[in-house]
Amino acid sequence: MQVKKKAASAVPIRARKGAIHRFFVYFARHPLLYLMLIPGLFFLCVYKFWPLYGIQMAFRKYSLFAGNNPMDSIAKSQWVGWKNFNKLFNSSQFSLVVSNTLIINGMKILFLFPLPIICAILLNEIRRATVRKTLQTAIYVPYFFSWVMIFGIFYSLLGSYGPLNSAIVALGGERVRFFTDTKWFRWLLVFSEGWREIGYNTVIYMAAIAGVDQVLYEAAKVDGAGKWKQIWHVTLPGILPTIVLMLILKVGYILDTGFEQVLIFYNPTVYSVGDIIQTYVYRLGMGKMDYSQSTALGLFNSVVAFVLIVGANTVSRKTLHRSIW
Amino acid sequence: MKAKTLSPEKDKKNINHIPMDASEKVAEIIAYVVLVLLALMAILPCLHVISKGISNGTAVAAGSVIFWPVGFQVEAINYVFTRTAFFTSLKNTLIITVVGTAIAMFTTVTTAYPLSRSDFKGRRFVTLLYVISMVFFGGIVPAYMVVKTIGILDTYWACILPFAIVQFNMFIVKNYFEGLPTEVEESASIDGANDIRTLWSIILPMSVPVLATVALLYAINYWNNYFHVMMYTSSASMKTLQLYLYDIINNSAAITESLYSTSFEGTNYAQNITTEGLNAAAVSMSLVPIIAAYPFVQRYMISGITVGSVKG
Repeated sequence: MQVKKKAASAVPIRARKGAIHRFFVYFARHPLLYLMLIPGLFFLCVYKFWPLYGIQMAFRKYSLFAGNNPMDSIAKSQWVGWKNFNKLFNSSQFSLVVSNTLIINGMKILFLFPLPIICAILLNEIRRATVRKTLQTAIYVPYFFSWVMIFGIFYSLLGSYGPLNSAIVALGGERVRFFTDTKWFRWLLVFSEGWREIGYNTVIYMAAIAGVDQVLYEAAKVDGAGKWKQIWHVTLPGILPTIVLMLILKVGYILDTGFEQVLIFYNPTVYSVGDIIQTYVYRLGMGKMDYSQSTALGLFNSVVAFVLIVGANTVSRKTLHRSIW
Repeated sequence: MKAKTLSPEKDKKNINHIPMDASEKVAEIIAYVVLVLLALMAILPCLHVISKGISNGTAVAAGSVIFWPVGFQVEAINYVFTRTAFFTSLKNTLIITVVGTAIAMFTTVTTAYPLSRSDFKGRRFVTLLYVISMVFFGGIVPAYMVVKTIGILDTYWACILPFAIVQFNMFIVKNYFEGLPTEVEESASIDGANDIRTLWSIILPMSVPVLATVALLYAINYWNNYFHVMMYTSSASMKTLQLYLYDIINNSAAITESLYSTSFEGTNYAQNITTEGLNAAAVSMSLVPIIAAYPFVQRYMISGITVGSVKG
């Protein structure tokens, strides 16, 4: 017993020493590999980790000129504890932007999530490869466009004097102001998001369908299954892991998506339905120069988003044995 | 659902001399209808803005341009080219995209290679750093303060360096490198090639498809970036295509109004340039470079989407 215990305690120490030794041996043999890491780590430290240090602005009354430079000013600003957060949580804007974020992104998941799955299944039914490729190429053209370009296109189509409104008027209706009407604005976001993303997501599901074992289809055919039964019993179960993974990702990133789209599409008349957490963070910080409040809201968003994403990844790893990273 | 699935089967039993299952035919017809509609939905709006950009001013103002030009003029496009900052912003976008993609590819490859080697000591720790940076985000204001402190605000560097490594893209390349056969690498090291040589002359030539894909992802990222450029630059001469376009769309009414009151060099611009037409001309001129590049790059885009989503 005692011998065993001794051995057990001795091994880790020797192993640790061995590991450090082995590291230096390896380092001496492959110094260039470590040299290669430097550019990436440099950018990582400066642009990803240094801003993390700036998070303490959320607990301070930040004053831009307290130090020698903006980052130096952070440590020299007055510490106020949770004051910024109290002010934030008590403001009516806070609950508004949180609920807008959840409603808009929830609508997007609810209405847009199933569409690319259906498209991919249908696309897979087209036997002529050239037609299939052409259609696939056409439906994800919009994914290459920036949100500003999409805004321009939609503004042209749905603007007060665009073809859609002309058609509405011709049919005896009244002009709809899609960009300034609070009733329509969220739908505009959902629709334009769908226009941009459906083709892209279809390609993802197409790849998943291509991975389904062809033998299963043969077997189903032998058993007398028609096309619909094959889709229901072979294709769908085959791509279910991808579907679940995509859904988990969408829910995990529910607080982090749609920022640039909303920033470009919205205007003060639709703040009540379109203002989301990140656009508010932006206006607080860059517009009102209330840096500390903005950082506090950003931190709140990051913490909740972090919990959601790690939670989503845990679910994905447990159920599908797949990790996001 | 059930009724639908049953009837084609009955058909099959009745007409079993037809080799192709009837349900397959029905499925294919539905597929054609739905997907052709979707493809039209993706393409017609682009056709609409381009048509509007070159249509007669009166037709544009009357709202009669739908998917095909009505009449023809190039004054709106001419105006966009000569009287607005279109080419300055296009130049800025090109510089940021080309330089940014080059730097990002260098950083991505040099980071991905060591991390892809299973014998690399410290691999887990460094990988963890990249994963951490993916899930923790300092926020808009702290990121702005960093750029301000470094002193690169309102320069090209502010639009390039913060995005010089996208962790997700780095992991795509790393995963690809991991899938390459290790024997080649081993034989190279026996031959006395150092690690940079091995990466340059053995690993990279074997990875051209994934490198093209990731370069495309970076290029699109830089080309389409609106928010960060808006935040990190302030002078008019630094505006990129996206900022320029946003300005035009939001100010075209004021521009055309001033056109109506003044005429340039004896040309009556006002006749053919309408607010909507000017917008459309600017938007379509930004669409053109992308549509021109699309046939050449879309192949890599497909592999980019699937590599990214499947391996993540």
